[in-house]
Amino acid sequence: MKKLRRMLQHKLQRKLVRDLAASKGLFLAVTAVIFLGVAFFGASFLGYQNLRSSYDYTYETLRFADFTIRVVEAPGGTVEELESIPGVAAVTGRMNSDLSLTLPGAEEKRVLARVISLPADSRPAVNDVKVESGSYFQEGEGNVLLVEKNFAEHHGLKEGDTLYLTVDSQRTSFSVAGIVASPEYIWFAKSRQEILVSAETFGVVFVPQDIVTELLGKPFINEFCFLVEEGADRETIIAEAENILDPYVVVDVVPREDQPSNAALSMDLEGFGELAEVFPLLFLIVGALATYILLTRIVHNQRPQIGLMRAMGYSRRQVLVHYLSFALIIGIVGAVAGTIAGYLLSELITKLYTGMLGLPYTKIEMNFLQWLAIEEGLFLGILPCAIAGIIPAWAASRLSPSEAMRPPSPTTGRKPLLERIFPFLTRLSFLWKIPLRNIFRNRRRSLYTVIGIAFGISLILVSAAFIDAIESFMDTQFNKVQRYDAQINFSPNQPQPAALAIEVQNWDEVEKAEPILQIPVRLEHEDNSYSTLVVGLTLNSELYGLFSTSGDRVGVSDEGILLSEGLKKALDVDSGDTLTLLSPWGTQQLEVTGFIQQPLGSYGFVTLGQAQELVGGFPIINGLMLEVEPQYLDSIREKAYGIPGTASVELTGESNEKVEEMMGLIKGMSWIMLAFGAALALAIVFTTVTVNIMERRREIATMRTLGEGKRRITAMITIENLLLGMGGIIPGIPLGYALALLLFRLFQSDMMSYNLVIFPRSYLLTVGLIILIMVVSQIPGIRHINRLNLAQVTKEQGT
Amino acid sequence: MSGPTLGEAGDIVLKLEDVSRSYQMGQVEVRALTSVSLDITRGEFIVILGPSGSGKTTLLNLVGGIDSPTSGKITVDGIELSALNDKGLTEYRRNHIGFVFQFFNLIPTLTARENVEFAAELVEEPRDPLEVLEVVGLKERADHYPSELSGGEQQRVAIARALVKDPPILLCDEPTGELDFETGKHILSAMKMINEVNCKTVLLVTHNTAIGDIAHRVIRLRSGEITEDRRNTAPIDPQELRW
Ligand SMILES: Nc1ncnc2c1ncn2[C@@H]1O[C@H](COP(=O)(O)OP(=O)(O)OP(=O)(O)O)[C@@H](O)[C@H]1O
Ligand SMILES: [Mg+2]
Repeated sequence: MKKLRRMLQHKLQRKLVRDLAASKGLFLAVTAVIFLGVAFFGASFLGYQNLRSSYDYTYETLRFADFTIRVVEAPGGTVEELESIPGVAAVTGRMNSDLSLTLPGAEEKRVLARVISLPADSRPAVNDVKVESGSYFQEGEGNVLLVEKNFAEHHGLKEGDTLYLTVDSQRTSFSVAGIVASPEYIWFAKSRQEILVSAETFGVVFVPQDIVTELLGKPFINEFCFLVEEGADRETIIAEAENILDPYVVVDVVPREDQPSNAALSMDLEGFGELAEVFPLLFLIVGALATYILLTRIVHNQRPQIGLMRAMGYSRRQVLVHYLSFALIIGIVGAVAGTIAGYLLSELITKLYTGMLGLPYTKIEMNFLQWLAIEEGLFLGILPCAIAGIIPAWAASRLSPSEAMRPPSPTTGRKPLLERIFPFLTRLSFLWKIPLRNIFRNRRRSLYTVIGIAFGISLILVSAAFIDAIESFMDTQFNKVQRYDAQINFSPNQPQPAALAIEVQNWDEVEKAEPILQIPVRLEHEDNSYSTLVVGLTLNSELYGLFSTSGDRVGVSDEGILLSEGLKKALDVDSGDTLTLLSPWGTQQLEVTGFIQQPLGSYGFVTLGQAQELVGGFPIINGLMLEVEPQYLDSIREKAYGIPGTASVELTGESNEKVEEMMGLIKGMSWIMLAFGAALALAIVFTTVTVNIMERRREIATMRTLGEGKRRITAMITIENLLLGMGGIIPGIPLGYALALLLFRLFQSDMMSYNLVIFPRSYLLTVGLIILIMVVSQIPGIRHINRLNLAQVTKEQGT
Repeated sequence: MSGPTLGEAGDIVLKLEDVSRSYQMGQVEVRALTSVSLDITRGEFIVILGPSGSGKTTLLNLVGGIDSPTSGKITVDGIELSALNDKGLTEYRRNHIGFVFQFFNLIPTLTARENVEFAAELVEEPRDPLEVLEVVGLKERADHYPSELSGGEQQRVAIARALVKDPPILLCDEPTGELDFETGKHILSAMKMINEVNCKTVLLVTHNTAIGDIAHRVIRLRSGEITEDRRNTAPIDPQELRW
């Protein structure tokens, strides 16, 4: 008896292997989905961990500030006083000012440089730099500086190069001592408002403290960087420090999480992290669904075999285990391979990503064994398959033998609802009637197909939406908002008279010149405050486009302030509320008159006059926007340098490039996502369609023996699939839209705001792609059908 | 290919010359049919008898163009089947052959009538589907789905489906196997009538030796070879059958 059982068991395993081999394409497709889901999860989960730990390690090593306070100016001795606040681990005081910097080279090129002082003889206690090449300051070197890496790379600067800093029209030469990485500029952001800045017009250099003092002619400090002791309450310390610094006028308090580079990195990382959860989840859901469909159909088709097995004496448990094994094999193979691939991929992602950002230190958080030990990937891959498998396997084990051996009657035996409602459908030709009937013949099977397609469509649509959003983002920023061809920025300490605009407008090269005055302010509304820029524009500015949230062109007015959309939430304000504007030079109260679209940054917009009020009522400007005849774009820069205060000349075309480069990256990711979405759609559609065709092979063979041609049979299958495809498109598009809305919220902040736009071409692309997928995935099934051995198949029993 | 020719009774419509069919099962060669030669004239009603596994279904499949011989030549109405490509074979099945399978092979999503119509659509001048269903006694159940029909009723739909194309050759594999005595007789009468009135050639496979009495000719197969080929001088009316 025992021996017999062992033999049966053995045969059962052989059946398992045979069945797997018979539908290997299907099993492979489903396993691939699980594999991709687990690999995706592993790669992104570990990649996320690695990036996090690399950032943390970099911040720790370079003693990145917990918070920074900016003041107008304070004496150096203040540092000791601040250090004595309980809970403060270290304080560095430094001078931080934006100056005009002239680069070496045949053609004069100026950029606005952020000049940051560092101790001449030692490393700073807070916000240290990592010397990538050359060396840190050495005593008695004279006029030397360290160049920030992103900036240096862009201009090909190296040790020994000579640069010039201009203060009050006075040019001083500096020699480059080294290239450094700074924790404050890993993500090359000028400010929270300008996180996509081009190194073409903006740079960062570090200069010894004593040299800065000499250069500026002031023995002052305007920035204090704090490190807080572990366990100390940062808010209390900030309050205390603000108290001490009050006499020197606190301009801004920037906690670490708001520091521009860190904030941009975090936004990026969090976005990555969210995708890392959502995407694999979708894969695993689809994988489970596909496993379920496949197994349900196998059990359905093997009913007579199950009945036979049970009649012969196989136990319920044996039947259950047998059918569950199919699902477990999918899960185990997919999960194990996915776990390994995910780990390898995560290392690659980490390397690529940290390399791209130029992260000074990389730290791999987990080695493969640790990864295996937590086994999340394995668990995540096997669990959905087990759940998906248990239902059909249980159903199989519950079948009564006699019932199971009777040929199943899948049809309800009633005229399909659709034909009862629309009697004309009954008169359709068989070419249409058979596909229609098949769809309603097994509603659950059709439902699976529809769900699968809907999932595929939503994935494709979401990816397409990302691509569209980026394009519309670029379009808004560069065609609607920034309508100028060039912008001249004057040194912060050398503003120009407003009348300069008229003079420049008279230049031959210039079609139009409009003045602009940008002032750093703190906006306050009730308990909320936000540090940003207020932009002063002429009343009917043509070169700076403002568009209300509803898309209408609007302009600044004396009645109040227009705010960027992102500030509505940050400040909790609405139209009609009164806002307080605080600048180092004055305070102003303005009514919020409306909100405008701004893809990059979040500013307030006022009239030039209102802006000038904020700087004490002087009729000055600090920038000029120019519309330039295209042939003069090359020479405008040089001409603008003729104005003494010119710190940099920004060509829209160039900054556009930088943003495009960044956006290209996101776009690239979106295309990869789209490819994955399409692959997923292909896997699920292939599974359902193939199962669908295989189940009817005998029926199709019969049609062929009656004399039906292959082409007509192919047409019937195609019609059926396309009808199901339509059924999937209808729920798939709103599902994709909802998913896009959800994901877009993650990428929305005051630094950057995308609008969810989906161009008609994306809908077309999605629908076209899904139809293509449907047609492609039926090819193997149809090839199989066309090669059927009619004599053999018509002998098979069972309907 | 031209349409089915009716021709004169007595023409040779079907010719098998030295036809063999074997299956290679790994090392073993299963000989399903060995050197079968047959001349069948138009309008003949032939009953093929033989034990299980003797090659009856194989013979029908070869004639019906859904299987091809390992060696030998099959000619139907002057057409040599081995010369036909897939498209040609499809045309051939469409216009020349009516199949009734041992297992009925109905399309489960179509009603009885629709199953018949489905076949009718394939030819230019089909018979009226309802009329054919009446012949097999199923007019009343025309709008029922296969799952609502008994085994015998399904078999009768399968027969109607073969008849509706009005093919010159009918190949029936155990058409009465599932039927009770009375219904079986009724079906056989219908077939006999079609054979006589419309001059159709009928090849009918059965285990039931008694049915041989209604045929013009009885062929007996054993292990893939013809062991007997006799003519019935006085075929009886199916109604007179006893078994
Ligand atoms: N596809 C195949 N592969 C291998 N052997 C086959 C195949 N089809 C038929 N045979 C063998 O050929 C022989 C004849 O089979 P066939 O189906 O013609 O028998 P039959 O006379 O119709 O039997 P039954 O009365 O049981 O239906 C049998 O021995 C069978 O095992
Ligand atoms: Mg047989």
